[in-house]
Amino acid sequence: MRKKTFAAAALLAAATLTLSACGSGNDGKSPVSVVSEESDSGKAGTVLDQPFEKPDLVLTDTHGKKYDLRQETKGRPTLLYFGYTHCPDICPTTMSNIAVAKKALPRAEQNDLRVVFVTTDPGRDTPAGLGKWLKGIDPQFIGLTGDFATIQAGARSVGISVEPTTKDKNGKLVSVHGTQVIAFSPKTNGGYVLYGEDTTVDDYTKDLPKLVKGANP
Amino acid sequence: MRRRSVLGTAAAALAGALTLAGCSGSGSGSGSDSDPGSSKAELSVSGPYIPQPVSADMAAGFLTITNKGGAEDALTSVTSDVAGQITMHSTVGGAMQEKSSFAIPAHGQLVFKSGGNHLMFEKLKHKPEQGQTVTVKLTFAESGPLTVEMPVKSATYNPSTGH
Repeated sequence: MRKKTFAAAALLAAATLTLSACGSGNDGKSPVSVVSEESDSGKAGTVLDQPFEKPDLVLTDTHGKKYDLRQETKGRPTLLYFGYTHCPDICPTTMSNIAVAKKALPRAEQNDLRVVFVTTDPGRDTPAGLGKWLKGIDPQFIGLTGDFATIQAGARSVGISVEPTTKDKNGKLVSVHGTQVIAFSPKTNGGYVLYGEDTTVDDYTKDLPKLVKGANP
Repeated sequence: MRRRSVLGTAAAALAGALTLAGCSGSGSGSGSDSDPGSSKAELSVSGPYIPQPVSADMAAGFLTITNKGGAEDALTSVTSDVAGQITMHSTVGGAMQEKSSFAIPAHGQLVFKSGGNHLMFEKLKHKPEQGQTVTVKLTFAESGPLTVEMPVKSATYNPSTGH
């Protein structure tokens, strides 16, 4: 089920880089009709024929320091996700799934892996707040915040559509997270595997040993 | 060709999703005429859980409400002594949408599951820890309230694998 969904989401993302995620990715995942689509060999990750270039993002880390994504993660296996901390469901689950799977790697590989969480809600996610939240999941994870337009452009460059935080009719703030995790190769620095939000701990546990070497899962 | 069919499916899903979780029930338009003996909603709750959250600020909750009766009902509020506020949300393309009620179709289900509809607990008195339970009260438009014990599972709990 999730493979299909994800295929639909990926195609939509690929077809319309500028289109808002609203109404596309998630609707594909809701009901019934997606189930009967073509099979995708049972793999959680989608290996891209044409890898994405790593976004040229220079943001602020959880210690308030400048963080140049390309420079800091060069030659390192890197997982990139766009989300926000006032997110009850998918954002913490995605990060927790990766955190648990990471623990199954040998220590040296755990230290080599870069897991980067870029906030889509910089208004609420201060460096300190983001740091505290990530520490509750995995102290090695990197959290970045900064100007929303910069973050949005970076996300868009890897096919991920996010929108600014808005107020709903009750005056509550509503933010948007990305629907995919992108794995970047330590060999090429290209973003070459995509994971949808239904990817489980077991999926990541199976794939991480390959990803840290830049191999196809 | 293949792309087109997938996009078509997504569009169909979009149309289908507008009717909410009714798709897992007995199809549209059933309800009243099929079971004249039961003209009331008959609600039960299954599979409740809360993934252990990162902090006490916020947690998600999931459950399924099944309606065996011949009349529609609606979930109108969720409350708990341990949370300052519990709101109900649908999810559309990575964005949550707060809703004041969720329909429970006759002979159908209302499903809250990760990636879709969810309950959002805010300002919890304590961070719920795995192994604990959180008691919530569900209030409906027609039926009487139900009290549900929601077990706190691991942060990565997946109901389809059970771990």
